[in-house]
Amino acid sequence: MAEATDEGAALERFEAGLADVEARLADAFEGATTEQALREANAKILGPSGELTGLLKLMPRLPKDRRRELGQRANATKARVQEALDARLEALARAAREAELTGPALDVSLPGRGVTRGRLHPLSRTIRELTDVFLALGFDVEDAPEIDLTQNCFDRLGFPPDHPATDMQDSFYLRAPDGTVDPEVVLRTHTTTIQIHQMLKRPPPLAVICPGAVYRRDDDATHSPMFAQIDGFAVDEGLTFAHLKGVLTAFVRRLFGDEVPVRFRPSYFPFVEPGGELDMGCVFCRPWEGDAERTRACRVCKGTGWMEILGCGMIHPVVFEAVGLDPSRYSGFAFGMGIDRIAMLRHGISNIRLLYENDVRFLSQL
Amino acid sequence: MLASHRWLVELSGVDASVDDIGDRLTRLGLEVEDTIRFGAGLDHVVVAEVRAVAPVPDKDKLSLVTVFDGEGERQVICGAPNVPAPGGRVVLAKPGAELPGGMAIAERKVGGVVSSGMLCSETELAIGAGTAGILVLGKGDPGRPGQLARDALGLEDAVYEIGLTPNRPDCLGHIGLAREVALAFGEPFRPPVPGFPSRFVSTDAKLRGADELPFIDDAQPSAVDTLTLVGPRPDVPILVPITIEAPDRCPRYAGGVVQGVTVAPSPFWLRFRLHKLGVRAIDNVVDVTNLVLQELGHPIHAFDLARVRGPRVVVRLAAEGERMATLDGEERSFTADDLLICDGGGPVAVAGVMGGADSEIRKDTRDVLIEVAYFDPRSIRRTSRRLGLHTDSSHRFERGVDPHGVPWAMRRAASLISSLAGGAAAPTARDVYPTPIGERAIALRPTHVGRLLGLDVPEAKVRGALEAVGCAISPAEGEGWRVSAPTWRPDLGRPEDLIEEVARTIGYDAIPTELPRVLPSGRGLAPNLRAAWRLREAAADLGLLEAVNYSFVSRSDLEAARVPAEAVELANPLSEDRAVMRTSLLPGLLDAALRATRHQASTVALFELARVYVPSGQRLPTERLELAIALAGDRPGHVGADGSYDFYDAKGALASVVDAALGLSLETVRPDVLDPSLHPRRSAEVRVAGARVGVIGEVHPDVTDALGLDLRVVYASVSLDALLEAAGARGVPQASGLPRFPSSSRDVAFTVPSELEAGAVEAALREVDEALLESVQLFDVYTGPGLADGSKSLAYRVVYRDPEATLTDKRVDKAHGRLVTSVCKRLGLEVR
Repeated sequence: MAEATDEGAALERFEAGLADVEARLADAFEGATTEQALREANAKILGPSGELTGLLKLMPRLPKDRRRELGQRANATKARVQEALDARLEALARAAREAELTGPALDVSLPGRGVTRGRLHPLSRTIRELTDVFLALGFDVEDAPEIDLTQNCFDRLGFPPDHPATDMQDSFYLRAPDGTVDPEVVLRTHTTTIQIHQMLKRPPPLAVICPGAVYRRDDDATHSPMFAQIDGFAVDEGLTFAHLKGVLTAFVRRLFGDEVPVRFRPSYFPFVEPGGELDMGCVFCRPWEGDAERTRACRVCKGTGWMEILGCGMIHPVVFEAVGLDPSRYSGFAFGMGIDRIAMLRHGISNIRLLYENDVRFLSQL
Repeated sequence: MLASHRWLVELSGVDASVDDIGDRLTRLGLEVEDTIRFGAGLDHVVVAEVRAVAPVPDKDKLSLVTVFDGEGERQVICGAPNVPAPGGRVVLAKPGAELPGGMAIAERKVGGVVSSGMLCSETELAIGAGTAGILVLGKGDPGRPGQLARDALGLEDAVYEIGLTPNRPDCLGHIGLAREVALAFGEPFRPPVPGFPSRFVSTDAKLRGADELPFIDDAQPSAVDTLTLVGPRPDVPILVPITIEAPDRCPRYAGGVVQGVTVAPSPFWLRFRLHKLGVRAIDNVVDVTNLVLQELGHPIHAFDLARVRGPRVVVRLAAEGERMATLDGEERSFTADDLLICDGGGPVAVAGVMGGADSEIRKDTRDVLIEVAYFDPRSIRRTSRRLGLHTDSSHRFERGVDPHGVPWAMRRAASLISSLAGGAAAPTARDVYPTPIGERAIALRPTHVGRLLGLDVPEAKVRGALEAVGCAISPAEGEGWRVSAPTWRPDLGRPEDLIEEVARTIGYDAIPTELPRVLPSGRGLAPNLRAAWRLREAAADLGLLEAVNYSFVSRSDLEAARVPAEAVELANPLSEDRAVMRTSLLPGLLDAALRATRHQASTVALFELARVYVPSGQRLPTERLELAIALAGDRPGHVGADGSYDFYDAKGALASVVDAALGLSLETVRPDVLDPSLHPRRSAEVRVAGARVGVIGEVHPDVTDALGLDLRVVYASVSLDALLEAAGARGVPQASGLPRFPSSSRDVAFTVPSELEAGAVEAALREVDEALLESVQLFDVYTGPGLADGSKSLAYRVVYRDPEATLTDKRVDKAHGRLVTSVCKRLGLEVR
């Protein structure tokens, strides 16, 4: 009988407890406004010492024949509690998300993190762009010394012995160890020396360009004693002036656009014959667009509609002879251009000095 | 070279517009760089005749001039001192005229009198440099009253500024240019035949010896009828003896006498022609020599014969230290390499460069000796350079004038002087030309032309082009042609020179444009250049600005930066600031940093990739590509600064650049030998795979202080060659597969003396022989409360893995225990 009484009491407690949980279920979690409070509330019901857990501990004391049914009811209640908890959790998360989505906006005008302004020098960038075009045209890019023998800089390129370029007035010479002038070592006055170095190093066919610094004894608003050039050349059997025109026209078009007109006209350099200069349509007044008035007023091309961009020509036989190639077998063309001017034209730089002053205000502009 | 359009039209017979001729000259290789217009506008500017001149009351400097303007008389006030007497002709700007300077002419009242126009000076009309007063037309000058001055005086012209290449001395005169104009228009060119003097000195002497140059060719017999013979002036020679002592320097020298000249200003046409070409008019003798120079391109000189001692002419090399005053008033000293023109007493001219002051033409000169010579171009060039004296004459002689142009120039000069200055020429001039210079013969196969140009050029076209530029063609002994080049074209010496003549005659435009069929070599960028580009781009991507400094610096720059001062030295620097080649990129970057701070920049983050030059003991120094980085000032945080740049910023930047560009990882170790430019306690050697590639550190504060740079600069420099070598040794990175079993990690912190480098602890950890050890990572460095002075705490995370099994805690604990004990023992450390 004591057992029955005990079972009865347990059953009574169980039923009451379950009903209590069921009754409070609806608003058991409502008061919790944070996840923390919610979880605490949940622990009071489902936790190891929670109410429902306590009820389940009564199970062995319940009448055997009803345990199954009561167990199911308890589990159903537990599931409902869990459901209510999950719903409330989700509602809280949703509310937090809503608050984030409707709350104060980010100050998107603040700077990006870890990004500062780095820049290649305008000369470097121009060299790179020109180089890329010649690479695509099949040229190799090679290097040559900046301090070179006059033999390579002048004699082998067909400069007569007292050509003005060889003068101390025009070119930088080195001091020999004994303090005298070494008349045979010069800071290269042009990158044209690449022809000599490459032709001595490798057999034709050759197609090479060489960008780099060159030096002349000039220093004014339009001349810098150090400046940059690109020279290039190609040597093979059967190369013609038509090929020279083909390659250089392609170069100009790739760099400045297909619509830009080019014109070749005769000129003179000791190491080419026939020699020429390449003019391209002025990219500032764009005469091909037909605005004659704009061209007339153009200060860049002085109203001519043309800008001189490079010197070129067929490699002179004296150059082949100087490097031991047979001029009756090989022919070739060569060209050279100043980078500074192209960089200045492209970026609207008015004074060449800016290129070498390294003013960070200038360097970070472009 | 300045060239008058009007004169070129006259000489070439091609009557084409200014633009057309200019454009065709450019396309022919004679680049017209600019065109200057003369006489434009000048409407209402007419020739007028002075009828009366009266004073203006109370204005003693002004006169009231009555002029006849072709339609009627008008009165103008004039302030010039040279108003001619009635009958004289002047140039009148009528009201409504606008002068080139922008001055608008209107009637106005001066001193109570209405001035109805203005009498003009050459300067006001922009047709001359005369400053003595208004332009007064001389007897010989054209223009009748009322005629537009523009038409009467031929004021309208355009002057081309031609950027002549040094190979074309023939175009340093209008005749040569006119030949090119004719060529450009496909017209035949007939060079002008010089006139002959109309007045000759009569003489009984038998002339026409071997060295004599007659002023009248036998081919011009008709001329003789119009001659005036004048008796010789007493004691004035007809022929002056000439001795050439240096025939290699002076292959030809001619001297001709004109007697009894009257030196006076030249007529307007001559003054104006010279003015347009930028030559100052002087007098009717000197102006003629300048005109002939402009016309033929052959410089000539006129001596006052009375001041030629002897009289005789000796062409010789100077004695070392010999002196003479030149026309410009400078006393000059010569070397034994300078060619002089001397008389019986000494030097009278620097051959081909400038005349002497003593023998120049003066107002009272009565007899003139005309010099026309051909000098060796190199000789003139050396002297001109040595004296720093670049003249119209030396400019032409050093490029090579036509030795066969001497007779033409002599006749032209004598004839003009005799007609303008009223002299009488000697019947012949002395012309010493011991070894005549022949025409150069060049072998040419006509098919070669098309082969080089990439265009079929018919033989007839080749022939036509070459003949048009003055070549003569005959069959060669073997095959092809023997082309003889005219003596005025010293630039023609090889077949290719002739091919260029053909190419420019047919026009470069006529040559096709085609790409060659060449297979690229596949080399592309040379390895060092490829590496250089990657480094540059990586550095810029990292936020650094690229600097480009001059390669030359001053010796004191090197010393101030404490970089190697044994440098390659220039023999002829532009200034001491740029006298030696840099041995390091540091001075340039410090200079850039200094410049930045002067502009109140708070952050400097620069790099430079360029060459340094190191004496090699050989003739040519070693050139080495280096990458240098300089950081100074504020380290940019998200907003505002996040402290100042320090050693670790430079190390991080360098490591990142080198990794991004070349896939190399670097380490920094305390250097065995300190770099004097860097802070002794805050610098290191940079190594890749154990090999030294550069240095890094804070720039020595004494260095920055001495430069006045109040920022600490951190600097790193690495050698490109060394990096490339390391990259080559490393080869291509190899994949190692992914682990199959999980790792397990343990943390440990050591208390170590402050001086002990983290790298040493880390190295010791790695060196323990523990099979399960996979990696070690420093994750905390701590100094402060809880630690004794002089010590710091270094915390590491150690990762263990067994490649063949899942680790148990027990195995890991055991391994970790062994590792920690071993390191503590080895380095004498304690676990914190």
